[in-house]
Amino acid sequence: MDKSLLSLFQLCDSNFPSGGFSHSFGLETFVQFDKVHDPDTFSQWLELFLNEQMVSADGLAIQIAYEALENDNLDKLWEMDHLLTIQNMSRETREGTKYMGRSMVKIADAIYDIENISLYKDRVKEKKSFAHTAIVFAIIGHHLKISKEETILYYLYTTVINLVQNAVRAIPIGQTAGQKIISDFQPKLIKAVEAIGQLEQQDFGTIAPGLELAQMQHERVNVRIFMS
Amino acid sequence: MSDSKWTGVLNIDIEDRGGRSVPKNVYFHDGLKVQRPIYHGNTGIPCYYILNVGGGYLDGDSYKIDVRVRENAKLTLTTLGATLIYKTPTKPVTQKTDIFLEEDSYLEYLPDPVIGYENASYRQFDNIYMKKGATLLYSDIVTPGWSSTKGQSFSYDMLQLKTNIYLEGKQVVYDHVKLEPAVQKMNVLGFMEDFTHLGTFIVLDEKIDDALINRLYEVIDELPGDFKAGISKLTTSGFTVRVLANKTQEIQSVISACHNLITKEWYDRIPNFLRKY
Repeated sequence: MDKSLLSLFQLCDSNFPSGGFSHSFGLETFVQFDKVHDPDTFSQWLELFLNEQMVSADGLAIQIAYEALENDNLDKLWEMDHLLTIQNMSRETREGTKYMGRSMVKIADAIYDIENISLYKDRVKEKKSFAHTAIVFAIIGHHLKISKEETILYYLYTTVINLVQNAVRAIPIGQTAGQKIISDFQPKLIKAVEAIGQLEQQDFGTIAPGLELAQMQHERVNVRIFMS
Repeated sequence: MSDSKWTGVLNIDIEDRGGRSVPKNVYFHDGLKVQRPIYHGNTGIPCYYILNVGGGYLDGDSYKIDVRVRENAKLTLTTLGATLIYKTPTKPVTQKTDIFLEEDSYLEYLPDPVIGYENASYRQFDNIYMKKGATLLYSDIVTPGWSSTKGQSFSYDMLQLKTNIYLEGKQVVYDHVKLEPAVQKMNVLGFMEDFTHLGTFIVLDEKIDDALINRLYEVIDELPGDFKAGISKLTTSGFTVRVLANKTQEIQSVISACHNLITKEWYDRIPNFLRKY
Protein backbone atom coordinates (compact mmCIF):
# COMPACT_ATOMS: atom_id res chain seq x y z
CA MET A 1 0.00 0.00 0.00
CA ASP A 2 1.14 3.45 -0.81
CA LYS A 3 1.71 5.76 2.12
CA SER A 4 2.86 8.69 -0.01
CA LEU A 5 -0.58 8.93 -1.58
CA LEU A 6 -2.09 9.20 1.91
CA SER A 7 0.39 11.96 2.68
CA LEU A 8 -0.81 13.89 -0.36
CA PHE A 9 -4.46 13.25 0.50
CA GLN A 10 -3.87 14.98 3.81
CA LEU A 11 -2.83 18.09 1.90
CA CYS A 12 -5.90 17.90 -0.37
CA ASP A 13 -8.37 17.35 2.46
CA SER A 14 -10.94 20.09 2.71
CA ASN A 15 -10.27 20.11 6.46
CA PHE A 16 -6.60 20.94 5.92
CA PRO A 17 -6.26 24.40 7.48
CA SER A 18 -4.83 26.19 4.44
CA GLY A 19 -7.20 29.14 4.78
CA GLY A 20 -9.00 28.43 1.49
CA PHE A 21 -12.21 28.61 3.48
CA SER A 22 -11.81 32.40 3.78
CA HIS A 23 -11.08 33.21 0.14
CA SER A 24 -13.52 33.30 -2.76
CA PHE A 25 -11.05 34.62 -5.39
CA GLY A 26 -13.58 37.07 -6.75
CA LEU A 27 -16.56 34.72 -6.63
CA GLU A 28 -18.21 36.81 -3.94
CA THR A 29 -18.21 39.86 -6.25
CA PHE A 30 -20.11 37.89 -8.90
CA VAL A 31 -22.55 36.70 -6.23
CA GLN A 32 -23.09 40.28 -5.00
CA PHE A 33 -23.83 41.48 -8.53
CA ASP A 34 -26.15 38.49 -8.97
CA LYS A 35 -24.09 37.16 -11.91
CA VAL A 36 -23.57 33.90 -10.04
CA HIS A 37 -26.75 32.80 -8.29
CA ASP A 38 -27.32 29.05 -8.80
CA PRO A 39 -25.45 25.80 -9.53
CA ASP A 40 -25.44 26.49 -13.30
CA THR A 41 -24.01 30.00 -13.15
CA PHE A 42 -21.54 28.86 -10.49
CA SER A 43 -20.37 25.98 -12.73
CA GLN A 44 -19.81 28.44 -15.58
CA TRP A 45 -17.79 30.67 -13.27
CA LEU A 46 -15.79 27.72 -11.93
CA GLU A 47 -15.03 26.44 -15.41
CA LEU A 48 -13.68 29.84 -16.43
CA PHE A 49 -11.65 30.06 -13.21
CA LEU A 50 -10.22 26.60 -13.86
CA ASN A 51 -9.48 26.98 -17.57
CA GLU A 52 -8.06 30.50 -17.40
CA GLN A 53 -6.59 31.31 -14.00
CA MET A 54 -5.73 27.81 -12.79
CA VAL A 55 -4.33 26.50 -16.07
CA SER A 56 -2.08 29.39 -17.05
CA ALA A 57 -1.01 30.48 -13.55
CA ASP A 58 -1.07 27.93 -10.69
CA GLY A 59 -1.16 24.78 -12.81
CA LEU A 60 1.60 25.83 -15.19
CA ALA A 61 3.64 27.10 -12.22
CA ILE A 62 3.47 23.64 -10.61
CA GLN A 63 4.56 22.05 -13.88
CA ILE A 64 7.55 24.40 -14.23
CA ALA A 65 8.42 24.11 -10.52
CA TYR A 66 8.21 20.31 -10.61
CA GLU A 67 10.48 20.15 -13.65
CA ALA A 68 12.86 22.58 -11.92
CA LEU A 69 12.98 20.22 -8.92
CA GLU A 70 13.78 17.30 -11.22
CA ASN A 71 16.72 19.33 -12.51
CA ASP A 72 17.77 20.62 -9.09
CA ASN A 73 17.14 24.12 -10.34
CA LEU A 74 16.00 25.85 -7.16
CA ASP A 75 16.41 29.33 -8.65
CA LYS A 76 13.63 28.49 -11.10
CA LEU A 77 11.46 27.34 -8.20
CA TRP A 78 11.84 30.66 -6.38
CA GLU A 79 11.35 32.53 -9.65
CA MET A 80 7.95 30.85 -10.04
CA ASP A 81 7.00 31.84 -6.48
CA HIS A 82 7.85 35.42 -7.43
CA LEU A 83 6.06 35.42 -10.81
CA LEU A 84 2.94 33.72 -9.40
CA THR A 85 2.65 36.48 -6.87
CA ILE A 86 3.39 39.53 -8.99
CA GLN A 87 1.26 38.38 -11.95
CA ASN A 88 -1.71 38.61 -9.61
CA MET A 89 -2.80 42.22 -10.03
CA SER A 90 -5.50 42.08 -7.37
CA ARG A 91 -4.05 42.93 -3.96
CA GLU A 92 -6.62 40.98 -1.93
CA THR A 93 -6.37 37.81 -3.97
CA ARG A 94 -2.59 38.09 -3.98
CA GLU A 95 -2.47 38.53 -0.23
CA GLY A 96 -4.96 35.69 0.16
CA THR A 97 -2.76 33.27 -1.78
CA LYS A 98 0.29 34.51 0.14
CA TYR A 99 -1.47 33.88 3.44
CA MET A 100 -2.55 30.41 2.34
CA GLY A 101 0.95 29.67 1.08
CA ARG A 102 2.43 30.68 4.43
CA SER A 103 0.06 28.49 6.43
CA MET A 104 0.71 25.56 4.14
CA VAL A 105 4.48 25.85 4.15
CA LYS A 106 4.43 26.08 7.96
CA ILE A 107 2.26 22.98 8.40
CA ALA A 108 4.15 21.12 5.68
CA ASP A 109 7.38 21.86 7.49
CA ALA A 110 5.91 20.34 10.65
CA ILE A 111 4.57 17.15 9.07
CA TYR A 112 7.14 16.33 6.37
CA ASP A 113 10.87 16.15 6.55
CA ILE A 114 11.67 17.82 3.22
CA GLU A 115 14.75 19.98 2.81
CA ASN A 116 13.21 22.22 0.13
CA ILE A 117 10.18 22.90 2.32
CA SER A 118 12.48 24.03 5.14
CA LEU A 119 14.38 26.18 2.66
CA TYR A 120 11.13 27.67 1.36
CA LYS A 121 9.95 28.39 4.90
CA ASP A 122 13.22 30.18 5.66
CA ARG A 123 13.05 32.19 2.45
CA VAL A 124 9.51 33.27 3.29
CA LYS A 125 10.62 34.25 6.78
CA GLU A 126 13.52 36.24 5.35
CA LYS A 127 11.12 37.86 2.83
CA LYS A 128 13.06 36.41 -0.09
CA SER A 129 9.95 34.53 -1.26
CA PHE A 130 6.26 35.33 -0.99
CA ALA A 131 4.87 31.77 -0.40
CA HIS A 132 2.32 30.12 -2.65
CA THR A 133 0.39 26.87 -2.25
CA ALA A 134 1.20 25.84 -5.84
CA ILE A 135 4.93 25.85 -5.06
CA VAL A 136 4.37 23.93 -1.80
CA PHE A 137 2.38 21.34 -3.76
CA ALA A 138 5.13 20.99 -6.37
CA ILE A 139 7.78 20.43 -3.69
CA ILE A 140 5.71 17.88 -1.76
CA GLY A 141 4.45 16.04 -4.87
CA HIS A 142 7.99 15.76 -6.19
CA HIS A 143 9.28 14.59 -2.81
CA LEU A 144 6.56 11.93 -2.46
CA LYS A 145 7.31 10.73 -5.99
CA ILE A 146 3.80 11.50 -7.14
CA SER A 147 3.93 12.19 -10.89
CA LYS A 148 3.93 15.76 -12.14
CA GLU A 149 0.52 15.35 -13.79
CA GLU A 150 -1.05 13.87 -10.66
CA THR A 151 0.43 16.59 -8.47
CA ILE A 152 -1.22 19.19 -10.73
CA LEU A 153 -4.46 17.22 -10.81
CA TYR A 154 -4.66 16.99 -6.99
CA TYR A 155 -3.91 20.70 -6.68
CA LEU A 156 -6.68 21.61 -9.11
CA TYR A 157 -9.03 19.20 -7.37
CA THR A 158 -8.29 20.77 -3.98
CA THR A 159 -8.94 24.23 -5.38
CA VAL A 160 -12.24 23.10 -6.88
CA ILE A 161 -13.53 21.45 -3.69
CA ASN A 162 -12.58 24.53 -1.67
CA LEU A 163 -14.42 26.83 -4.06
CA VAL A 164 -17.47 24.57 -4.13
CA GLN A 165 -17.59 24.60 -0.32
CA ASN A 166 -17.39 28.40 -0.44
CA ALA A 167 -20.15 28.53 -3.07
CA VAL A 168 -22.37 26.36 -0.87
CA ARG A 169 -22.12 29.05 1.82
CA ALA A 170 -22.00 32.18 -0.34
CA ILE A 171 -24.63 31.71 -3.04
CA PRO A 172 -25.94 29.50 -1.36
CA ILE A 173 -26.32 26.21 -3.20
CA GLY A 174 -27.23 22.86 -1.65
CA GLN A 175 -24.61 20.38 -0.46
CA THR A 176 -25.85 17.79 -2.97
CA ALA A 177 -25.68 20.31 -5.83
CA GLY A 178 -22.14 21.09 -4.68
CA GLN A 179 -21.09 17.45 -4.71
CA LYS A 180 -22.70 17.04 -8.13
CA ILE A 181 -20.51 19.88 -9.44
CA ILE A 182 -17.36 18.30 -7.97
CA SER A 183 -18.27 15.07 -9.70
CA ASP A 184 -19.08 16.82 -13.01
CA PHE A 185 -15.74 18.58 -12.88
CA GLN A 186 -13.65 15.40 -12.85
CA PRO A 187 -13.28 15.17 -16.66
CA LYS A 188 -12.71 18.94 -16.83
CA LEU A 189 -9.85 18.61 -14.33
CA ILE A 190 -8.19 15.92 -16.42
CA LYS A 191 -8.58 18.07 -19.54
CA ALA A 192 -7.06 21.02 -17.70
CA VAL A 193 -4.00 18.94 -16.75
CA GLU A 194 -3.64 17.91 -20.41
CA ALA A 195 -3.91 21.56 -21.48
CA ILE A 196 -1.20 22.52 -18.97
CA GLY A 197 1.04 19.81 -20.43
CA GLN A 198 0.95 21.69 -23.75
CA LEU A 199 2.09 24.97 -22.21
CA GLU A 200 5.54 26.47 -21.75
CA GLN A 201 6.84 29.24 -19.54
CA GLN A 202 6.15 31.86 -22.24
CA ASP A 203 2.43 31.06 -21.84
CA PHE A 204 2.46 31.77 -18.12
CA GLY A 205 -0.03 33.98 -16.30
CA THR A 206 -2.49 35.18 -18.93
CA ILE A 207 -5.30 37.16 -17.35
CA ALA A 208 -9.04 36.55 -17.43
CA PRO A 209 -10.13 40.21 -17.54
CA GLY A 210 -13.60 39.90 -15.97
CA LEU A 211 -12.35 37.61 -13.25
CA GLU A 212 -9.44 39.87 -12.42
CA LEU A 213 -11.73 42.92 -12.31
CA ALA A 214 -14.07 41.12 -9.91
CA GLN A 215 -11.10 40.23 -7.71
CA MET A 216 -10.05 43.90 -7.68
CA GLN A 217 -13.61 45.08 -7.07
CA HIS A 218 -13.95 42.74 -4.10
CA GLU A 219 -11.83 45.22 -2.13
CA ARG A 220 -14.83 47.57 -2.33
CA VAL A 221 -17.72 45.11 -2.00
CA ASN A 222 -19.98 46.10 0.91
CA VAL A 223 -21.12 42.83 2.39
CA ARG A 224 -18.32 40.34 2.62
CA ILE A 225 -18.04 36.92 4.15
CA PHE A 226 -14.73 36.26 2.41
CA MET A 227 -11.37 38.01 2.61
CA SER A 228 -11.00 37.97 -1.19
CA MET B 1 19.68 41.97 -34.77
CA SER B 2 20.73 44.64 -37.26
CA ASP B 3 18.24 47.36 -38.14
CA SER B 4 17.49 45.91 -41.56
CA LYS B 5 15.93 42.82 -39.94
CA TRP B 6 13.13 44.95 -38.53
CA THR B 7 10.27 46.51 -40.44
CA GLY B 8 10.75 49.61 -38.37
CA VAL B 9 13.13 50.84 -35.67
CA LEU B 10 12.86 53.77 -33.30
CA ASN B 11 15.36 55.00 -30.74
CA ILE B 12 14.67 57.85 -28.35
CA ASP B 13 17.21 58.97 -25.76
CA ILE B 14 16.30 61.96 -23.59
CA GLU B 15 18.45 63.87 -21.12
CA ASP B 16 17.88 66.73 -18.73
CA ARG B 17 19.63 69.98 -19.54
CA GLY B 18 19.03 72.51 -16.81
CA GLY B 19 15.42 71.60 -16.10
CA ARG B 20 14.49 71.12 -19.73
CA SER B 21 14.40 67.62 -21.21
CA VAL B 22 15.99 67.41 -24.61
CA PRO B 23 16.82 64.68 -27.13
CA LYS B 24 20.33 63.33 -26.70
CA ASN B 25 19.84 60.98 -29.59
CA VAL B 26 16.79 60.21 -31.70
CA TYR B 27 16.98 57.76 -34.53
CA PHE B 28 14.45 55.95 -36.68
CA HIS B 29 14.57 53.62 -39.62
CA ASP B 30 12.08 52.38 -42.23
CA GLY B 31 8.61 51.72 -40.84
CA LEU B 32 8.66 53.89 -37.72
CA LYS B 33 9.12 57.62 -37.43
CA VAL B 34 8.83 60.53 -35.03
CA GLN B 35 8.70 64.22 -35.80
CA ARG B 36 10.38 66.94 -33.78
CA PRO B 37 9.06 66.91 -30.22
CA ILE B 38 6.37 69.30 -29.11
CA TYR B 39 6.80 71.12 -25.82
CA HIS B 40 3.42 71.85 -24.28
CA GLY B 41 3.29 74.96 -22.11
CA ASN B 42 6.38 75.59 -19.99
CA THR B 43 6.75 72.12 -18.50
CA GLY B 44 10.01 71.45 -20.31
CA ILE B 45 8.71 67.97 -21.17
CA PRO B 46 9.05 66.91 -24.80
CA CYS B 47 6.22 64.96 -26.36
CA TYR B 48 6.97 62.59 -29.20
CA TYR B 49 4.31 61.14 -31.48
CA ILE B 50 5.23 57.75 -32.94
CA LEU B 51 4.11 57.35 -36.52
CA ASN B 52 3.76 54.10 -38.42
CA VAL B 53 4.92 55.08 -41.88
CA GLY B 54 2.96 52.40 -43.70
CA GLY B 55 -0.31 53.29 -41.96
CA GLY B 56 -0.75 49.84 -40.47
CA TYR B 57 1.04 46.67 -39.45
CA LEU B 58 1.07 43.85 -41.99
CA ASP B 59 1.82 40.13 -42.06
CA GLY B 60 5.13 39.30 -40.43
CA ASP B 61 6.06 42.91 -39.64
CA SER B 62 8.43 43.41 -36.75
CA TYR B 63 9.08 46.63 -34.90
CA LYS B 64 11.64 47.60 -32.33
CA ILE B 65 11.47 50.61 -30.05
CA ASP B 66 14.17 51.64 -27.59
CA VAL B 67 13.65 54.45 -25.14
CA ARG B 68 16.00 55.84 -22.55
CA VAL B 69 15.07 58.63 -20.19
CA ARG B 70 18.18 59.74 -18.36
CA GLU B 71 18.55 61.03 -14.81
CA ASN B 72 15.98 63.72 -13.96
CA ALA B 73 14.71 63.87 -17.55
CA LYS B 74 11.04 63.69 -18.48
CA LEU B 75 9.26 62.39 -21.55
CA THR B 76 5.76 62.02 -22.93
CA LEU B 77 5.47 59.33 -25.56
CA THR B 78 2.36 58.57 -27.58
CA THR B 79 1.35 57.57 -31.07
CA LEU B 80 -0.07 59.70 -33.84
CA GLY B 81 -2.96 57.30 -34.25
CA ALA B 82 -4.10 53.79 -33.45
CA THR B 83 -1.84 50.85 -34.22
CA LEU B 84 -3.76 48.97 -36.90
CA ILE B 85 -3.03 45.29 -37.25
CA TYR B 86 -4.22 43.83 -40.55
CA LYS B 87 -4.59 40.18 -41.37
CA THR B 88 -1.50 38.07 -40.81
CA PRO B 89 -2.00 34.89 -42.84
CA THR B 90 1.51 33.54 -42.26
CA LYS B 91 3.23 35.27 -39.34
CA PRO B 92 2.07 37.46 -36.44
CA VAL B 93 3.17 41.06 -36.22
CA THR B 94 5.59 41.62 -33.35
CA GLN B 95 6.65 44.75 -31.56
CA LYS B 96 9.40 44.81 -28.96
CA THR B 97 9.96 47.80 -26.76
CA ASP B 98 12.73 48.26 -24.22
CA ILE B 99 12.52 51.26 -21.94
CA PHE B 100 15.18 52.41 -19.49
CA LEU B 101 14.21 54.93 -16.86
CA GLU B 102 17.19 56.25 -14.95
CA GLU B 103 17.08 57.73 -11.46
CA ASP B 104 14.37 60.35 -10.88
CA SER B 105 13.28 60.26 -14.51
CA TYR B 106 9.68 60.44 -15.65
CA LEU B 107 7.87 58.75 -18.53
CA GLU B 108 4.26 58.85 -19.55
CA TYR B 109 3.68 56.29 -22.28
CA LEU B 110 0.14 56.69 -23.55
CA PRO B 111 -0.21 55.11 -26.98
CA ASP B 112 -3.46 54.96 -28.92
CA PRO B 113 -5.23 51.60 -29.03
CA VAL B 114 -4.02 48.52 -30.81
CA ILE B 115 -6.79 47.54 -33.22
CA GLY B 116 -6.89 43.97 -34.45
CA TYR B 117 -8.66 43.44 -37.77
CA GLU B 118 -9.98 40.20 -39.22
CA ASN B 119 -7.51 37.29 -38.89
CA ALA B 120 -4.80 39.48 -37.40
CA SER B 121 -2.26 38.24 -34.87
CA TYR B 122 -0.09 40.60 -32.85
CA ARG B 123 2.50 40.05 -30.15
CA GLN B 124 3.79 42.96 -28.11
CA PHE B 125 6.65 42.60 -25.65
CA ASP B 126 7.40 45.58 -23.47
CA ASN B 127 10.26 45.52 -20.98
CA ILE B 128 10.74 48.48 -18.70
CA TYR B 129 13.78 48.86 -16.46
CA MET B 130 13.43 51.48 -13.75
CA LYS B 131 15.89 52.96 -11.30
CA LYS B 132 14.86 54.32 -7.93
CA GLY B 133 13.01 57.60 -7.94
CA ALA B 134 11.75 57.03 -11.48
CA THR B 135 8.09 57.52 -12.34
CA LEU B 136 6.21 55.51 -14.94
CA LEU B 137 2.71 56.01 -16.30
CA TYR B 138 2.01 53.26 -18.78
CA SER B 139 -1.14 52.42 -20.68
CA ASP B 140 -2.41 50.12 -23.36
CA ILE B 141 -5.78 49.51 -24.97
CA VAL B 142 -6.76 46.63 -27.24
CA THR B 143 -9.85 46.68 -29.42
CA PRO B 144 -11.30 44.68 -32.26
CA GLY B 145 -11.37 46.35 -35.69
CA TRP B 146 -14.40 46.79 -37.83
CA SER B 147 -15.15 43.92 -40.18
CA SER B 148 -17.56 44.21 -43.10
CA THR B 149 -19.03 40.79 -42.33
CA LYS B 150 -18.90 40.71 -38.54
CA GLY B 151 -19.16 44.36 -37.49
CA GLN B 152 -17.15 45.27 -34.43
CA SER B 153 -16.67 41.85 -32.96
CA PHE B 154 -13.75 39.58 -32.22
CA SER B 155 -12.66 38.79 -35.75
CA TYR B 156 -8.94 39.01 -35.03
CA ASP B 157 -7.06 35.81 -34.24
CA MET B 158 -4.92 36.99 -31.33
CA LEU B 159 -3.72 40.08 -29.54
CA GLN B 160 -0.98 39.43 -27.01
CA LEU B 161 0.65 42.03 -24.79
CA LYS B 162 3.33 41.03 -22.36
CA THR B 163 4.68 43.68 -20.04
CA ASN B 164 7.56 43.16 -17.64
CA ILE B 165 8.61 45.97 -15.34
CA TYR B 166 11.77 45.83 -13.25
CA LEU B 167 12.70 48.16 -10.42
CA GLU B 168 16.39 48.24 -9.52
CA GLY B 169 16.79 44.89 -11.26
CA LYS B 170 13.93 43.15 -9.49
CA GLN B 171 10.79 42.30 -11.44
CA VAL B 172 7.78 44.06 -9.96
CA VAL B 173 5.19 43.71 -12.73
CA TYR B 174 4.33 40.76 -14.92
CA ASP B 175 1.29 41.48 -17.02
CA HIS B 176 0.21 39.04 -19.70
CA VAL B 177 -2.86 39.87 -21.74
CA LYS B 178 -3.63 37.34 -24.43
CA LEU B 179 -6.96 37.53 -26.17
CA GLU B 180 -7.34 34.76 -28.70
CA PRO B 181 -10.83 34.67 -30.21
CA ALA B 182 -9.63 32.05 -32.70
CA VAL B 183 -9.56 29.49 -29.84
CA GLN B 184 -11.20 31.17 -26.81
CA LYS B 185 -14.78 31.99 -25.93
CA MET B 186 -14.65 35.75 -25.42
CA ASN B 187 -18.06 36.88 -24.21
CA VAL B 188 -18.32 34.62 -21.18
CA LEU B 189 -18.64 35.48 -17.52
CA GLY B 190 -15.24 36.25 -16.07
CA PHE B 191 -13.60 36.80 -19.45
CA MET B 192 -14.61 39.72 -21.72
CA GLU B 193 -18.25 39.37 -20.60
CA ASP B 194 -20.36 41.94 -22.53
CA PHE B 195 -17.37 43.99 -23.61
CA THR B 196 -15.01 44.23 -26.60
CA HIS B 197 -12.31 46.65 -25.41
CA LEU B 198 -9.71 46.12 -22.69
CA GLY B 199 -7.57 48.86 -21.20
CA THR B 200 -4.70 48.88 -18.71
CA PHE B 201 -3.06 51.74 -16.84
CA ILE B 202 -0.05 50.94 -14.68
CA VAL B 203 1.62 53.60 -12.58
CA LEU B 204 4.77 53.21 -10.51
CA ASP B 205 6.11 55.93 -8.27
CA GLU B 206 7.50 56.00 -4.74
CA LYS B 207 4.76 58.48 -3.74
CA ILE B 208 1.88 56.05 -4.33
CA ASP B 209 0.11 54.95 -1.17
CA ASP B 210 -3.27 53.44 -0.22
CA ALA B 211 -4.83 56.88 0.29
CA LEU B 212 -4.04 57.92 -3.30
CA ILE B 213 -5.46 54.64 -4.61
CA ASN B 214 -8.64 55.30 -2.63
CA ARG B 215 -8.93 58.79 -4.14
CA LEU B 216 -8.42 57.37 -7.63
CA TYR B 217 -11.07 54.77 -6.94
CA GLU B 218 -13.53 57.52 -5.96
CA VAL B 219 -12.78 59.44 -9.16
CA ILE B 220 -13.30 56.37 -11.35
CA ASP B 221 -16.44 55.42 -9.45
CA GLU B 222 -18.03 58.79 -10.22
CA LEU B 223 -17.33 58.68 -13.96
CA PRO B 224 -20.35 58.17 -16.17
CA GLY B 225 -20.29 55.55 -18.90
CA ASP B 226 -20.87 51.91 -19.66
CA PHE B 227 -17.61 50.37 -18.49
CA LYS B 228 -16.31 48.16 -15.73
CA ALA B 229 -13.11 49.14 -13.95
CA GLY B 230 -10.92 47.92 -11.13
CA ILE B 231 -7.92 49.38 -9.36
CA SER B 232 -5.49 47.57 -7.10
CA LYS B 233 -2.12 48.07 -5.50
CA LEU B 234 0.99 46.30 -6.79
CA THR B 235 3.51 44.57 -4.51
CA THR B 236 5.57 47.75 -4.82
CA SER B 237 4.58 51.46 -4.74
CA GLY B 238 2.24 51.42 -7.69
CA PHE B 239 -1.12 50.34 -8.98
CA THR B 240 -2.92 48.84 -11.94
CA VAL B 241 -6.21 50.04 -13.36
CA ARG B 242 -8.01 47.62 -15.63
CA VAL B 243 -11.03 48.66 -17.71
CA LEU B 244 -13.53 46.72 -19.79
CA ALA B 245 -15.67 48.77 -22.19
CA ASN B 246 -17.15 48.86 -25.67
CA LYS B 247 -15.58 52.14 -26.73
CA THR B 248 -12.02 53.41 -26.69
CA GLN B 249 -13.24 56.79 -25.35
CA GLU B 250 -14.66 55.14 -22.23
CA ILE B 251 -11.29 53.58 -21.42
CA GLN B 252 -9.47 56.82 -22.21
CA SER B 253 -11.80 58.73 -19.90
CA VAL B 254 -10.85 56.42 -17.01
CA ILE B 255 -7.14 56.69 -17.77
CA SER B 256 -7.39 60.50 -18.20
CA ALA B 257 -9.25 60.89 -14.91
CA CYS B 258 -6.47 59.04 -13.08
CA HIS B 259 -3.76 60.86 -15.02
CA ASN B 260 -5.37 64.23 -14.19
CA LEU B 261 -5.61 63.53 -10.49
CA ILE B 262 -2.00 62.35 -10.27
CA THR B 263 -0.64 65.29 -12.26
CA LYS B 264 -2.64 67.75 -10.16
CA GLU B 265 -1.52 66.24 -6.84
CA TRP B 266 2.12 65.65 -7.72
CA TYR B 267 2.93 68.58 -10.00
CA ASP B 268 0.04 70.97 -9.45
CA ARG B 269 -0.82 71.21 -13.13
CA ILE B 270 -3.08 69.52 -15.64
CA PRO B 271 -1.69 66.96 -18.12
CA ASN B 272 -0.93 68.11 -21.62
CA PHE B 273 -3.70 67.54 -24.05
CA LEU B 274 -2.25 65.24 -26.67
CA ARG B 275 -3.68 67.05 -29.67
CA LYS B 276 -3.29 64.81 -32.69
CA TYR B 277 -5.60 65.73 -35.50
